[in-house]
Amino acid sequence: MRDTASAIPQGELGKPEFEKQGFSAALLHFLAANPALIILAVLMVAGTVLSPVFLTTQNLLNILWTVSVLGIVALGQTILLITGNFDMSVAYVVGLAGITAVIAQLWGAGLVASILLGLLAGALVGLLNGVIIVLTKANAFLITLGTSILVYSLNLILTQSKTWYASVDSFLLLGRGKLFDTIHYSVIIFLVLGLLLQFILRQTIFGRSLYIIGSNQRAGELSGIRINRIKLATYVFCGTTAALAGLIMTARTGSTVANAGVGMDFDSLIAAVLGGTSLFGGRGGTLRTIVGVLILGVLNNLLVLLNVPYEAQQIAKGLVFLSVVWMDGLLQKR
Amino acid sequence: MWAKTRHFVLRQNVVILLLLLVVFFSLTIGSLFLNGQNIHNVARQISFDIPLALALTIVLIAGGIDLSVGSVLSMAAALTMGLQPYGSWFSVTVALLFGAGVGLVNGLLVTKGRIVPFIATLGTMTVVRGIMLTYTRQQPIAGSDAAFTFWGAGSLGPIPVPILIVLALALLVHLLLTYTSLGRNFYAIGGNNEAAFLAGIDVLRNKVLAFVLSGLLAAVSGVLIASRLNSSTVHIGLDSGLWAIAAAIIGGASLTGGKGSALGAVFGVITLGVLVNGMNLLGVHTYYQIGIRAIILITVVAIDALSAMNLRKKQMMQAYGARE
Repeated sequence: MRDTASAIPQGELGKPEFEKQGFSAALLHFLAANPALIILAVLMVAGTVLSPVFLTTQNLLNILWTVSVLGIVALGQTILLITGNFDMSVAYVVGLAGITAVIAQLWGAGLVASILLGLLAGALVGLLNGVIIVLTKANAFLITLGTSILVYSLNLILTQSKTWYASVDSFLLLGRGKLFDTIHYSVIIFLVLGLLLQFILRQTIFGRSLYIIGSNQRAGELSGIRINRIKLATYVFCGTTAALAGLIMTARTGSTVANAGVGMDFDSLIAAVLGGTSLFGGRGGTLRTIVGVLILGVLNNLLVLLNVPYEAQQIAKGLVFLSVVWMDGLLQKR
Repeated sequence: MWAKTRHFVLRQNVVILLLLLVVFFSLTIGSLFLNGQNIHNVARQISFDIPLALALTIVLIAGGIDLSVGSVLSMAAALTMGLQPYGSWFSVTVALLFGAGVGLVNGLLVTKGRIVPFIATLGTMTVVRGIMLTYTRQQPIAGSDAAFTFWGAGSLGPIPVPILIVLALALLVHLLLTYTSLGRNFYAIGGNNEAAFLAGIDVLRNKVLAFVLSGLLAAVSGVLIASRLNSSTVHIGLDSGLWAIAAAIIGGASLTGGKGSALGAVFGVITLGVLVNGMNLLGVHTYYQIGIRAIILITVVAIDALSAMNLRKKQMMQAYGARE
């Protein structure tokens, strides 16, 4: 036994080989584990070469501001993906939250009350998703597609297909306000939420149990994790983050329509997967999703700067999604 | 005797459901619902949904799912109209080949690429929709061959032509599923992938074929719709995929695979068609209809999952019983 142990190459202080070799080797190892960072770097370089306005503070802040709404949705989606679940209803929940808040304001609700009601609407849809999926163990994908359409019909009924405007002025700060006149609050919310969630995922028992549920539900069950309760909680959380994103989106334009946020279901999946979160549970993190969201944002920015038509962007998105999922599958097999 | 009857009734729940719907609508809106013109309309309407439900039934039987059918439908319709200046038969052939091609890609992604079916077809759904938007530049395309509208809009006596076409199609699928080795293989693979492989069935090839058939049938639906409207728009096929899944499951297919029939799919589509028609006649607002559709989809998927869970429990109980 002792022979085999000493046969493993060890550094001076008993550290693994790559750590002994110093900073550059450690960096290489880190990048190999996070290919998304390389993609992001390549895109940044390409942007700098292709367009003189790309690498300006203004443009970079703009990109961050543009992606932060989708980013917040993707953070919630990531938490669900880690447990091996999906939420395709987020797109219309984004709309529902804004509509609820705006209508509440028309009925005389103040800033805080309207925001809380908006968040509550998202949480309730999340709860509905969670309850159905926990009780029936049905395909999460199809169920949430179903609730997605249900929420859409609710949005249509509430708005009657009209545009509705926010009537509380301070509400608009949520979308347009800037800290120190430079960074939008929504960007700060997105980044802080991402960091906070990463901490919870990595450093708390609750966070660790999400990974266990995603990689081996039966094992989690046997080790005493309350699977159903946690699943419910993650669905409610995902609905709430989608609602938060919806409130920010509404506060930006000051108005909302029934299909605000359409397409964010698929985009949030792409962002999470691009960052390196698996669609099959057990692997990923919210820091990775921040990188994934940034990749999407930079890519979109580049495509706009290069005048690529919207229709072709759709094709590109689908192809990127398929290739990333395919590679994810290859990694899993290994 | 009672057990046998009960078993039969439970198995034919789609027929019961349909009868209940017909009775309900006959009692509430009577002559508006049960007249020749309305039945003619319903028959024409559902004929565009039947190929999709057949497509989903085949894929579900083989243990997969195909979310891309709606996109394929809209692109097939766009090709049928867009290439019509080169001849209707040519454009239809290209449209059908396109559908089969997407099916082939789906099949390869699922088998060779090892991507789970609903993720793979979600990807192709987006790509094909992007291709359709690029091809049409988001503009409607009008047809140029008036004779071609016969297939979707024409009637033979009181019977719409498209319903005859899709019923013939359903018969073909029925024969395929019940009397050919290909059809039996689909059931075997969907029922138990491992066992089918060990029994010597070429699982990969048969799965790919199931997806090809699905794409082809979706394209047929697109061609018929194009013929009916004599144009194609970007709005068609947006939620038809989900609706077809619901119809297939109502007709006896299951997300767990290995179950379903062509006849069931047809009944599933008729049931949903009658329901939509009844809601229209009752004057239910579109917004509420969308919600009702969603609730139906959720209910159908949930019931399917519950019955699969019950079956597993029963099998486990039997296994324990046998051991004791």
